Amino acid sequence: MGTRKSEVLQGTLDLMILKTLHAMGPLHGFGIARRIEQVSRDILQLNEGTVYTSLLRMQQQGWIAAQWGTSENNRKAKFYSITKRGETQLKLETENWQRISDVIGRVLRLEPEG
Amino acid sequence: MSSRLEFRLRGFAAKLFGFFSERQHDDELDAEINEHLEMLTDRFVAQGMTREEASRTAHLQFGNSTLLHEERRELQTLTSVEALWLDLRYAVRTIWRSRRFAGIAIATLALGIGSATAIFSVVDNVLLAPFPYKDPGRIVFPRVHGAQQGEDAGRQGYTVNEVLEIAESNHVFDAVIATEEDLVLYKRREGTEQLYGAHVTPGAFEFFGMPVLHGRLLQPSDYEPGAPPVFVMRYKTWKEKFNGDLSLLNKTFILNGTARTLVGVMPPRFGWYDAEVYIPEKLTHWPGAGPEGFPGWFLVGRLKSGVSSQQAEADLTVIAKRLATIYPKGYPPEFTILVKHVGDTVIGRFAETLYTVLAAVGLLLLISCSNVANLMLARATTREKEFALRAAMGAGRARLIRLLMFESLVLALGGAALGVLIAWGGLKSLVVVMPQDLIPAETVIQLNGPALASALCMAILTPMIFGLAPALQSSRQDCNDALRDSGKGVSSGFRRRWFRDTVVVGEVALSLTLLIGAGLLMRSFVALRELNLGLRADHVLQTMLILPEQRYKTAEQVTRFFRPVLAQVKALPGVVDAAESSSLPPYGGDESKMEIVGKTHTEDWRTLFQQVSQEYFRTLRIEVRRGRTFSEAEVNDARKVAVVNEMFVSKYSPKENPIGQHVRLANLEGVPDPSLEIIGVVGDVTNRGLQAPIEPELWIPYSLTSMPPQVLVVRTAQDPGTMLDVVRKQVWATDSGVALAYSSTLEDFIGGRMYAGPRFGVVVMSIFGCIGLLLVTVGVYSVLAYSTARKTHEIGIRMALGAKRADLLRLVVGAGLRLVVGGIAIGLAISLMLARVIGTELVGIKSWDPITLTGTTLLLILTATAASLIPARRAARVDPVIALRYE
Repeated sequence: MGTRKSEVLQGTLDLMILKTLHAMGPLHGFGIARRIEQVSRDILQLNEGTVYTSLLRMQQQGWIAAQWGTSENNRKAKFYSITKRGETQLKLETENWQRISDVIGRVLRLEPEG
Repeated sequence: MSSRLEFRLRGFAAKLFGFFSERQHDDELDAEINEHLEMLTDRFVAQGMTREEASRTAHLQFGNSTLLHEERRELQTLTSVEALWLDLRYAVRTIWRSRRFAGIAIATLALGIGSATAIFSVVDNVLLAPFPYKDPGRIVFPRVHGAQQGEDAGRQGYTVNEVLEIAESNHVFDAVIATEEDLVLYKRREGTEQLYGAHVTPGAFEFFGMPVLHGRLLQPSDYEPGAPPVFVMRYKTWKEKFNGDLSLLNKTFILNGTARTLVGVMPPRFGWYDAEVYIPEKLTHWPGAGPEGFPGWFLVGRLKSGVSSQQAEADLTVIAKRLATIYPKGYPPEFTILVKHVGDTVIGRFAETLYTVLAAVGLLLLISCSNVANLMLARATTREKEFALRAAMGAGRARLIRLLMFESLVLALGGAALGVLIAWGGLKSLVVVMPQDLIPAETVIQLNGPALASALCMAILTPMIFGLAPALQSSRQDCNDALRDSGKGVSSGFRRRWFRDTVVVGEVALSLTLLIGAGLLMRSFVALRELNLGLRADHVLQTMLILPEQRYKTAEQVTRFFRPVLAQVKALPGVVDAAESSSLPPYGGDESKMEIVGKTHTEDWRTLFQQVSQEYFRTLRIEVRRGRTFSEAEVNDARKVAVVNEMFVSKYSPKENPIGQHVRLANLEGVPDPSLEIIGVVGDVTNRGLQAPIEPELWIPYSLTSMPPQVLVVRTAQDPGTMLDVVRKQVWATDSGVALAYSSTLEDFIGGRMYAGPRFGVVVMSIFGCIGLLLVTVGVYSVLAYSTARKTHEIGIRMALGAKRADLLRLVVGAGLRLVVGGIAIGLAISLMLARVIGTELVGIKSWDPITLTGTTLLLILTATAASLIPARRAARVDPVIALRYE
């Protein structure tokens, strides 16, 4: 099997995309996928299609907005940007994530007693 | 914090919008995806791949785009609405491809749904909505209920003054009307006939809110004193006694000596008070507080909207307490007024039978559902590959389940459609066995809106029962296994077989419960028929003679009429015996307090008493135990003698010779010194209806008193029904002013009142029992046939290894019987638990009647064995060579 890549958790992808849009400003789906790939340094295995599911879902919830524009190599592309509501959600999710990862980190650091 | 609800609402709104701009969304997504793929491809090309290689890698990295479209659709459109039509069409196509399976499934469901619809129609028409009147739920009648009285006891009739007082002073009714029964003598050309009449007070027809069929309703002016006398007729009477002759409208009839004009005929469902003619009458106060009058008026009121029965009871009790101070005789010392709905009293015992049958049909529906569930499971295994392929193509589990549920729904709809036809036909036959005397006269049994709605409900709900489990089962699987497996392996999955077996066990259990119920009712019915009535009911004709009161006041006048009539009737060809009686058997006349001269006792002594002519005992073949019955002279001379039944002796004069003792009857009108000498003892005769215990009874010569009624009892040599005309002519030859009422053969009379209810239960339950048995047979057969077919390969190996045909027979039949025995154990347990429910309807047998239990169990085992023999023989005929090649 070789080195096994970690699969992306459903909710985590939402968080990552929100964070990406928050940090980079409006991006199209391809750009988002590239950015995540870059940041994760190939550790995460991502079916890039799932990015679009996530985008659709967050659009419905009003966390992100979409607009048609032109990509860097002059093609028609849909650009996504984070909304105010999305910023609130991002803050909430980030705190949530940190709390959980703190807990898990603490648990994993536990040494056997004695 | 954005709540869950908000999350959902936003999702739904998006779906709603998306639903209407479906195409655009799909195209947009496609464009986006293509764009993405091309950019990816460009990137890989830049990294040094060939164009094709790059494109392939791009697609791989992007993942399943079909699934993406699916997900988008799920997110952005109302998938259920959109896919509904598609799935429905697909389901119909799938089912059409396997017509044999569908035929069996639909027929099975149709039996279940059809039976349930038919019975629901009966229950709805008889119990839930028997009355066609305006707001029947608000029509109530008051009952004077003494504190010491039983639950259903109490006076329901009121005097004229009481009716007027209640109508004027109540605060709870919109309207009040009253009805009084009246036997109407109607003069026809050759003699007098009798009609059941009802006097109704002003507003009666407005109260019921039904239009007239022909002519007109009674108008307010018709009720005024001095108005031309008119009346209205019921449809059934007009049709049956007057041939539906329209020219009779506005003709004059002589009713009880008054010339009345027929002004209207009511529609078929109008049957208030089960009367045949309705006569207007306006009530006026009896003068003074003197005579109270006879409390013969049945009062009904329409509750004002929002007024509860309790409020009405409280209000009416206040009025009644006031009335009780004026007319103390009519009220017990402690009482309240109870308010009852019309119809509560009519149906009584028969309601229990109906509810039993309703429960039974529920079981039947469950059985048919389990059967179809089993069929679906068996079929699903042959479709494993199809499902696996669908799953591999990206169909989610929910989607698969939905597809299967749609197939179930289509089957159920087919079953319901066919079931409605079955119900329609079945109701026609049910109406025939319906006990007409036990249901409200207004009831018309037919398929109606509620019944059709219930069929539709069943069509929608039954798939949940028979379709869901198989759908869950078949959608839960690893597609790899199924695709690799040829589908004819040595054994099917344990889980699935276990499930199918459970269904069969359940089916057998339910069916046994049904069979036991039917068996118990049948045995009880036979016991009821064999009850020794104490008389021979065959070849007996009876009719009540209504003598005009003016001319028959004294016992002498009555005797002077009867003596020649009895002699002439007896002389008619075909007549064996004829007698007079004061009641219609199997009811034993009036009740009276009594004393036996020379005996003291603390509690009240009571006896039924009946006035008869000397031939009465011989006519009904009642056996004489001791002494003798009346002589002709004793009857003619009106001697004070009496014959008693054995119950009388064992209760009041045991261990003594009753002959020669003297009995004093309290309620003997017009007899100055009612001390009667006992001259004989006869065997016990049913005298309170068939199911009640026999009470002490005493017979006296009819010549002693003129108290009505007078009944003519005739034993004939041929069919008694054919003799009525001759007997009537003979009566009219003596006095054409005498009317004949309640004419019937004794067998019909007993049958209509006492056998009809139980017979309905027996007939319906037996039909259900048979259908249940048939379904179980199909169920056991299909499961065994299926598993045997799956095991053909295994059987081949067994035979190759030397198994005998007998071994194989045993193997398959044994497998079948194991299921059946399990089901029987559960079924017996259920039956014993339900015994309490059905026990109240049983006569002469216990609810754990061993004969019924063993009989039905054996029947079920035999049927199941027969059902498993066919697949067993097929297994035994397997040629090992072919079987081993069978893949």
